[in-house]
Amino acid sequence: MQKGYVFKRILYAIFIFFIVMTLNFFIPRIGVTDPAERYYPPQGNMSEIEYDIIKQVTREQYGFDVSTFQQYLNYVEKLSRFDLGTSFKSGSPKVSDLIAQRLPWTLVLSVTNLIICLSIGISLGSIAAWKRGRWQDTALLNASTISTALPGFFIALILSFYLGFELELFPAYTNPNMISQFDWSFEAIKVVIANAALPIISMSIGGIISYAQGTRNSVIAVTNEDFILTARSKGLSQRQVLYKHTLRNAMLPIVTSIGMSISGLIGGAVIIEQIFNWNGMGTLFLEANSTNDYPLMMGVMLFMSSFAIVANLVTELCYSLLDPRVTVGERR
Amino acid sequence: MKSFMNGLKEMLSGIWGFIRKLWRHPKGRIGLIIVILLVVCALFAPWIAPYDPYDVTQRAQKGLSPSFQHLLGTTITTGQDIFSMLIYGTRVSLTIGVVTGVSLAFLGALMGICAGYIGGFADTLIMRIVDVLLVIPTLPLTIVLTNLFGRSYLMIILIFTLFGWTGLARVIRSLVLVLKNANYVKAAELAGASRWHIMMKHILPGTSHLLIMSTALTSAGIMVAEAGLSFLGLGDPTAISWGKMLAEAQSGGALLFGHWWWIIAPGIGIFLAVFSFMRIGLVMEEVFNPKMKQSSNIYKLFKNLNNTYIEEVFSSMSEAQILGVGGEQS
Repeated sequence: MQKGYVFKRILYAIFIFFIVMTLNFFIPRIGVTDPAERYYPPQGNMSEIEYDIIKQVTREQYGFDVSTFQQYLNYVEKLSRFDLGTSFKSGSPKVSDLIAQRLPWTLVLSVTNLIICLSIGISLGSIAAWKRGRWQDTALLNASTISTALPGFFIALILSFYLGFELELFPAYTNPNMISQFDWSFEAIKVVIANAALPIISMSIGGIISYAQGTRNSVIAVTNEDFILTARSKGLSQRQVLYKHTLRNAMLPIVTSIGMSISGLIGGAVIIEQIFNWNGMGTLFLEANSTNDYPLMMGVMLFMSSFAIVANLVTELCYSLLDPRVTVGERR
Repeated sequence: MKSFMNGLKEMLSGIWGFIRKLWRHPKGRIGLIIVILLVVCALFAPWIAPYDPYDVTQRAQKGLSPSFQHLLGTTITTGQDIFSMLIYGTRVSLTIGVVTGVSLAFLGALMGICAGYIGGFADTLIMRIVDVLLVIPTLPLTIVLTNLFGRSYLMIILIFTLFGWTGLARVIRSLVLVLKNANYVKAAELAGASRWHIMMKHILPGTSHLLIMSTALTSAGIMVAEAGLSFLGLGDPTAISWGKMLAEAQSGGALLFGHWWWIIAPGIGIFLAVFSFMRIGLVMEEVFNPKMKQSSNIYKLFKNLNNTYIEEVFSSMSEAQILGVGGEQS
């Protein structure tokens, strides 16, 4: 891999980040001349003089009393210190602290989910490709037709109804004390596992099937390539052809889709988190939305987007490492 | 005006041709029948629904189990008839899905063709916008924008359209890059046709099958997205939609009291709508592109339409389609 290529990709990622950051700065300012009006909308019982005073205070508090350009510069300067502003929540906690608090809990769900999807999905997909046209393959095709048409949150509701309320196997709602009382003890970890079970199962069903379908298609596409014929005619054993030639090449498109899943690790489970009352990034965002907490909302958005930018960059670099056919530098 | 009428006529006969092709295909027929049923439900909801689903004053009828009077029982909180709600919910899902699907197809085609055919600065600009939109998480962005601009359905359609075209534009662009080198396009260029004329008369028809296919699939995707949004309580607050029914079932204690039909009913509604549109999209893929039969790359398109790089997936497909298009034209 050439150094120039890596350098170019990194520069481009920074460029995209800059645009996203600028959009993030301007979105709450759309439609109002004074951002204080957005942060503190007029209430019904307020006289004009009162509201003017409140706006004045809000402006000073959030630094809106300078020109928009100066505000933008201040915003960029603050961001360079990883300061995303303060939330409207009581005690005005820092947005970055709130994110740091919730992030691990979202990652617990999404990383476990990704690992499950990859391991089970890829093995199922390889089996289906191996038994092409037999019942295993047909079953996968039908399962993927059904699961793409069923939204994940519906599966989650059914599971929470059946496994949570009817069979009482797992808690149907997360205990809110779980996070505040967490102390790495064996008991606490056991509680987390029990609570995480339902969200993870309902997230992974769709993921497993789509990874399996992807693997199957990609393996079959590779099997039809000429170099597999060459490998066979060289007299390699079935096993060697499968592991050394087929699966290795079939992994390439899967790397791309893993990259996509990674970029969605943080923002991908908003609805599932809401259903199971799981205190992660998704619920943090929804709380911010319901209280019109713009600094928090935009902070979470910016964090999710930057994570996706980094994930995309890493995926692209990995891809060019893995695939000898990618002509580096001339991809577009 | 006359040319417009002619264009309309051509389009209608094209659509009629699609329906006939769909009907001949056994899988397509299932999809088509379900779609027709749903459309009938949506159009004639007031006549089909046995009760008024907006009627929240039936205190004596709260939380009934399914019976002949109330086919799917009534809600625990307000005593609304669930079967009637289910029928009215068709309207929201279908309208939002189809309207967004069609407008997305237009926007995606415009952007993709401009990027692919004009190239240069337009291409760079559009692909930069695509890259930016790809990294911004879709659902949170939609939530922020509905928070800023209100939650009417028109707004939701507009937001879905403005931020959902990226995947389709990429696919169309890579197809146009191949089409651009076709002989009939070269001939038109040599004959001195304007860019606009070539884009509309020669490039657009080459992408039309992909557009119609993706309209069916994006409609399905948008229906799921709308259900999710309504489920979070962020859809239009005045309407009855399947997502909102699920949210009401969850908060109204359907899980607690064991009223499983209250959860299953809207779920089946969503499933049928999405399933039938997907079926149609998949069958179109098979009809247009017999080479790709059974290998359903389209699942990937559907799954990731809003946030992925699909070029790789489609590179093989577009080549196959070029053969078909070239054959038709020459």
